[in-house]
Amino acid sequence: MAYIDYFIHLGILASIYVMLTVSLNLAVGFTGLINLGHIAFLGIGAYTSALLVLNGYPIWLAVLAAGLFAGIAGIILALPTARLKGDYLALAALGFAFIVGSIARNWTGLTRGPLGLPGIPQFLEERTFAIQILPDKIIQIDKLLVIYLLTALVISAIIWWLTRTRFGKTLQAIRDDELAAKMLGKNTFAHKVAALGISAFFAGIAGSFFAHYISFIDPNIFGLGDLILVLAMLIIGGLASVPGSIIGAIIIVLIPEPLRFIGFSPTLIGPMREMLFALILLIIIIYRPKGLLGKVDLE
Amino acid sequence: MSALAAQLIANGIIAGAIYALVASGFSLVYNVTKFMHFAHGGILAFGAYLFYTFTETILPFPLAALLTIILTCLAGEAVNRLVYKPLRARKASSAVLLIASIAGLLFLNALVLAIWKADTKTIALERAHEVIEIGGALISYIQIAIIITAIVLLLGLWWLMKQTKIGKAMRSLADNKDVAQTVGINPERMYTITFMIASGLAAIAGILIGIEQSLHPAMGVSLIIKGFTGAVIGGMLSVPGAVLGSLLLGLAENIGIWWLPSGYKDAIAFALLFIFLLFRPQGILGKKLREA
Repeated sequence: MAYIDYFIHLGILASIYVMLTVSLNLAVGFTGLINLGHIAFLGIGAYTSALLVLNGYPIWLAVLAAGLFAGIAGIILALPTARLKGDYLALAALGFAFIVGSIARNWTGLTRGPLGLPGIPQFLEERTFAIQILPDKIIQIDKLLVIYLLTALVISAIIWWLTRTRFGKTLQAIRDDELAAKMLGKNTFAHKVAALGISAFFAGIAGSFFAHYISFIDPNIFGLGDLILVLAMLIIGGLASVPGSIIGAIIIVLIPEPLRFIGFSPTLIGPMREMLFALILLIIIIYRPKGLLGKVDLE
Repeated sequence: MSALAAQLIANGIIAGAIYALVASGFSLVYNVTKFMHFAHGGILAFGAYLFYTFTETILPFPLAALLTIILTCLAGEAVNRLVYKPLRARKASSAVLLIASIAGLLFLNALVLAIWKADTKTIALERAHEVIEIGGALISYIQIAIIITAIVLLLGLWWLMKQTKIGKAMRSLADNKDVAQTVGINPERMYTITFMIASGLAAIAGILIGIEQSLHPAMGVSLIIKGFTGAVIGGMLSVPGAVLGSLLLGLAENIGIWWLPSGYKDAIAFALLFIFLLFRPQGILGKKLREA
């Protein structure tokens, strides 16, 4: 039975990272905003949701608030930075993530600082659900896994749909040629702010799902390690491709798993995983900048 | 109170000098190649740990330092050759190089962690930590050495960039690669020289900072973020600006904790970074902003 639990665990992790990567793709791939601060929204969502639930609020409200808080943070970041270009935007967003991380580390009255928040409850107390498919055959279904998979699918579908609307087409026009979009009468600034806000909203939801699954969060959630992880997922899958992000997230979740079975000591596995992620990201950037299913180059 | 003020200012200058050591090499690379070489922090940590290992063996200090500098230069050139050169060949944008350099930083950071493990290491050199009093503030010998080195590096880099043939070639390459090539400057050779010099500076920084503080694997990440912030404040397109900005950053952090809890040092730095990127991306000494 144990190995099934292990696959369920991987399925839930992959679902969380699908939400995160697809939402990042809306900003980076579809709108051309190189946002290196996306993990800030993951962290804001995680902390918002965990703190609300630990203080007695219902979980559904906490998930919603996680998305809204992160979305507002996304708009706050976008308002001054959306006019910046290329690497200046990337660095301002990165600086934003550092500021938020620094606040989480130091506002100990709220976040308990480096001690982190333990004991965050999961969405369900009773996870398994038995279905009798044949008179003599009962299968067990993990309801938590189903919730995570469905949410990841729904978020991916929403973003895929968004990119096909007039709004989404405008975002892609801004990415390809902002001046031309402006000349066609589009308010490109408002579109960019909205894109970053929506992207951050879903990252916040991902953060909430992350906190309630892992049940412990600390300020390391704002670290560069997670940034590289999600960038690797995004770029391996390819920019401006929702299916690409889904595949990218699944691949990056699965790739380091064999390290567990090769027999490296546990203290080595952490650094080996990080080296592997960084290496994959570098190899993709150098040799296949479009990723697996990417529509545009990272420029 | 005045002793405390003197100490805070001294601490600010020391922190600023440390950031300046980091920023100088980082800024040199930026001035020649026009992208942010964040992996510089990983090179620095690698150098600091190499020095630790050499001093743990029977090597005398000067020999250990020399070996460290040579090997760190080679490591920096390896990053240039393996990561940046293929990207340059593809004419990748500076945003792509930025992401590659962050990946390089994380790779080196994890490599240091894998080789030397997570526990903090100290370089045994007790004499370096003896303190003297200057103007009411206590400063150790190694801290004085750091401040002097930062000043020497500032002057040395200014001399290199403005007065030497190599520096002139570097600047013309930064101005216009095509024109530089037509007058016989070999860009790849200049990039190699740049990365070697910058990584040598990273080694010197790693050795001094390693003696002053203790070594921990994340040191490269935290130091490059500060060095980069200092460079942005002072002006990315000016090596003296990067040193000046680092000094201001060190002072702002240390004087700021007069009012704020000391844990907020980092928040002060990042807030300054954010403000400068938004309102004065060319920094204090920068003249004009390139088209991003």
